[in-house]
Amino acid sequence: MALGGIVRGKRTTLRTPTEDDLASYSRWMADLRVRRAGRIWHEPAMPATWKERLKEQAKEQRVVLWSIETEGRLIGMARARLGSLEGPPGAHLQNLIIDPEEWRRGYGWDAALALHRYFFDYLDLQRSGIELNADNSAALRIAAKLGYAEFGRGHEVYYRDGAYVDEIWVVIQRATWDERWAKIEREYAPFAAAR
Amino acid sequence: MLGPRIVGDNGIELRPPVLEDYHLFRTWGLQPEVTRFWGPRFTDQTPATAEERLKKDLEGRTLVFWSIAYQGETVGLTGIFDINWVSRDGETGIFIGRHDLYGKGIASEAVRLRMAFIWYELGFHRTHNWIALANQGSWRANQKSGYSQFGTYPRSWYRSGEWFDEWLGEAFPHTFPPHKVPSPWRDESTRNDGVNGAETVQ
Repeated sequence: MALGGIVRGKRTTLRTPTEDDLASYSRWMADLRVRRAGRIWHEPAMPATWKERLKEQAKEQRVVLWSIETEGRLIGMARARLGSLEGPPGAHLQNLIIDPEEWRRGYGWDAALALHRYFFDYLDLQRSGIELNADNSAALRIAAKLGYAEFGRGHEVYYRDGAYVDEIWVVIQRATWDERWAKIEREYAPFAAAR
Repeated sequence: MLGPRIVGDNGIELRPPVLEDYHLFRTWGLQPEVTRFWGPRFTDQTPATAEERLKKDLEGRTLVFWSIAYQGETVGLTGIFDINWVSRDGETGIFIGRHDLYGKGIASEAVRLRMAFIWYELGFHRTHNWIALANQGSWRANQKSGYSQFGTYPRSWYRSGEWFDEWLGEAFPHTFPPHKVPSPWRDESTRNDGVNGAETVQ
């Protein structure tokens, strides 16, 4: 469960991560632009440590990791906790990182939309939540477009660049996804029509 | 790490947990009387793994963990977890395992002692927590030591046909009531004419 399978967007594809991806992961986690935008997945490390992390990730029961590529080129990664024991079954998107050299090309939006289609159209989850830095306007725009709504704002949560930044907690409910996206974002055609 | 001993009022103190406490923690988490808003009521711990768990907490670099004692007896646990040392933020939690002692102010006193340690010894910038909105006793205990609500997480707990939202709280050093500063910090600030920030000690 813990290494994600193929989820196709229009311009990006989320796919199973491999050891070949890890050098890029390490480079992104060391990039101050990435670190300023939000949470990273582990600190930069030697290749052997990254291989060990990937092995550990594969053992995770509920947290799934994907690499993101476009035209066969690795451009990012996503990681989400899926399911819930006590609340409604949901996703918690922990990382969605796009290579800074590939920013402002719409890849983040495309991958996010595909990933949420997987959450709601394939896994039948009831909601998804994220915490976002209050000054990450690109991520906030994507979240708002998907249908996320704010339910909390932590004050002065993260320290970076000489100051603290707030953190905005957002959630999208299944009903919002259905209303906004279910008619156009289906992975499969209706079964009867396909036969 | 395990937190140091901090003596409070009314026979309440925080102290570093010992192996016997870990056996108590495990059994408390399986009791219906104290798990309405705490965990799934099952465990991966066994009597044999308690020592391993203690060692893990002892060596942990992102938590500070205490037992809560009342009149010399361990009755609960508290701590700060998932510490972010760069942002100097962490998640606090408290659990009173003895339901027959609810309402005696044990949680309020334990929170006061814990928060004083966090601000005066760890030098934190912020702490946060999640508490079932219906668990007023718990979030009020935190409010008394400076916590305030920054959001409400919808439908977090399902119990007996009802969904319960969650109270999202945060606290900062400047929200800790100065008159609640406990000893030894109160005494030190008095000796130093308030240079430690507790000028309004009563």
